[in-house]
Amino acid sequence: MTIFLASVGFGLVTASVLAVAAVGFTLQFGVTDVLNLAYGAVMIAGAYLAYVLNQAGLNIWVGLVIAVAACSAGSVLLNSGIYTPFQRRGASPITMVIVSLGMTLIIEFGTQAIAGGTSVSYTMAQGPSVRAGGLVLTTVQLIVIGLSVLVMLGTHVLLRYTRLGKAMRATAANKTLARNCGIRAYRVITLTWAITGALCGLAGVIFAMDAGSFDATSTDLFLILILAATFLGGPGQAYGAMLGAVVIGLATEISAAYITPSYKYVVAFVALLLMLGIRPTGLLGARA
Amino acid sequence: MKFTTPVIGIVALAVAVLTACSSASSNSSGSTTGAASGSTLTIADVAPFSGPDAALGPTYLASCYGATTAINNAGGVLGHKLTCKSVDTRGDPADAVPAVNQMFASTPNLALVIGCTSDEAASVAPVINAHKMAMFCMTGQSEFDAVKFPYFYRLVPPDLEESYAMVAIAQELHYNKIALAFGNDIGSQTFIQPAIAAIKKAGMTMTTNQTLDLNATTFRTEAEAIIQSHPDAIMTEALGSADPTLFSEIKQLNGGKMIPIIGTSAAISPAFFKSAAAAVGASTFTSDFHADNLVVESNGPAYQAFSSALLSQQGKVPGATGDFTTYLSAPGGVHLYDGINLAALAMIMANSTSPSVYGPDIVKIGNGVSGATVCYSFAACAASLKAGKAIRYEGPGGPTNFDAYHDSTGIFQVDTYSDNGAVNVVGNLTADQLRALSS
Repeated sequence: MTIFLASVGFGLVTASVLAVAAVGFTLQFGVTDVLNLAYGAVMIAGAYLAYVLNQAGLNIWVGLVIAVAACSAGSVLLNSGIYTPFQRRGASPITMVIVSLGMTLIIEFGTQAIAGGTSVSYTMAQGPSVRAGGLVLTTVQLIVIGLSVLVMLGTHVLLRYTRLGKAMRATAANKTLARNCGIRAYRVITLTWAITGALCGLAGVIFAMDAGSFDATSTDLFLILILAATFLGGPGQAYGAMLGAVVIGLATEISAAYITPSYKYVVAFVALLLMLGIRPTGLLGARA
Repeated sequence: MKFTTPVIGIVALAVAVLTACSSASSNSSGSTTGAASGSTLTIADVAPFSGPDAALGPTYLASCYGATTAINNAGGVLGHKLTCKSVDTRGDPADAVPAVNQMFASTPNLALVIGCTSDEAASVAPVINAHKMAMFCMTGQSEFDAVKFPYFYRLVPPDLEESYAMVAIAQELHYNKIALAFGNDIGSQTFIQPAIAAIKKAGMTMTTNQTLDLNATTFRTEAEAIIQSHPDAIMTEALGSADPTLFSEIKQLNGGKMIPIIGTSAAISPAFFKSAAAAVGASTFTSDFHADNLVVESNGPAYQAFSSALLSQQGKVPGATGDFTTYLSAPGGVHLYDGINLAALAMIMANSTSPSVYGPDIVKIGNGVSGATVCYSFAACAASLKAGKAIRYEGPGGPTNFDAYHDSTGIFQVDTYSDNGAVNVVGNLTADQLRALSS
């Protein structure tokens, strides 16, 4: 029971980081039509930026805010400088995937070339641990969970109650129709890159906080988890991504508690395949 | 949503490529059969410079820079200067083979290969051997114990002996319950079975055996399983960010206390210390950390020459991080320095830069012949050779004794770290201790 509760706690932390990343990723994909595989690389670039600032003496939470802003701006530039020109020339979705893969390698190995190949850690206190039954969470992990809940609530408010959110949903549903209804789709897309880029930066820094130690390639496997959560929930579905993140996060950690941890990702992805076999559109995809 | 099944298939493929693939960021060349007069000879460091084991490449490169600078300052080899180049294998055989092929295709005057760790040795050693290129490999894999590769040389012991050394350390420290936590890479996995057998033979208990996926980002469940198995100590080798993350999570989940750690010689590197100390705090990390390491000299003429050569390269080695003096104790740093000196002296002795010609002289200079003059640095040994004397080179790694398979293994010492990253030798392990633990 103790190990079960502990693994549920671990799963919630993993799910929290994953949810922030997956919501940003799926919104970006849904609204912009770009399956941006460079998302993980931008995350780690943000994490490194916060690290550099942290090593320069800045509090890591200040570094987080700056990394969020930088990743937001960087994502807008990535879109306007790289993806949009390709899309304007009529690049197919497959071509865009390859372009984003290329950007992944450029950003990731560029970061590695600058930062070096060894792992680094933030200088920060984890704070006292909170124990309840077998559940053990540090203060930082509780903050990460809290930030994730805030992001989920913020995303809900954005999508349901703001003009921008409604415009994003309309653009995601049918870009041409949205334009015909007077929505300035290009502006909406740019703002979407800014918002999802910010989420990407936030995910990168809390990912690095959670991991304790990270290097330039640390998000390679995490990107697969992001994709899994996205497709499990239904691509383009923010609420689906939240749900997918919880399922993947809990499945990996709880399975690791009962069978050898080597199989934790196997279990998670078998669950994903089974789920997609039953509902190919994902958990919430049919409601789109 | 607007993507079809084939697109998703391509995405899956792309992601697989992204995660599994790597950079074959190397450069390098064809076998040398006698380089043009006055040309520069290249020593290729074939090792991981990125990926989880990225700390290994710069460690070897540091020794290469140190050795080649000392050799060049002493006049070079047969009128040639030496230079070093990095060949990044990413610690993955799938990346290592194309990187090595590219090296042979693009490096003129390649004279020696160093590195080839357990991550990639099994795949690249046959390729390098087929190109008739001499190599000093940092692999302990047992498959090389009795396989005849004429161009393969090794100054490190089989991994199973290092496993015995870790168990012997546990015995000396009176630990009885041992948890294992090794990375899922080839190099780390080879320690497990010998360690399990040795733990049993020593009458100890293995409390749990956790495999750490080096691509994973957290090991909380593994850490919790280790804590709940109540070990006296953890034996581990999981490089990159894996061990530091594990240590951090163990400390976190164990009420702020670390469990004593016994590491392998790979943990004696500035990059590892820096990462681990950053993850849990230097004093916490060093308080109960021990690692086995091959006995290396810490004084005497060989050490003086090595220390002087290596420290002259401080700040000049790409990728080197942390306290540079730690490289003085890093097994790769010491033994590859010796390997480069042995090869360079063999070239002089054979009057050829071709490995097929100078190779046999590596053994002669390492093992010595009757009446050979013992010398401790390239400069002194080269002078003796030029004076027509037979020599036996003894570097900072101690005397060499190559067997028929070109393996020369030393004995082990026990190392710890100070809070500033300095390495301390706190004991030695005898051959009898290891023999008692072997199956």
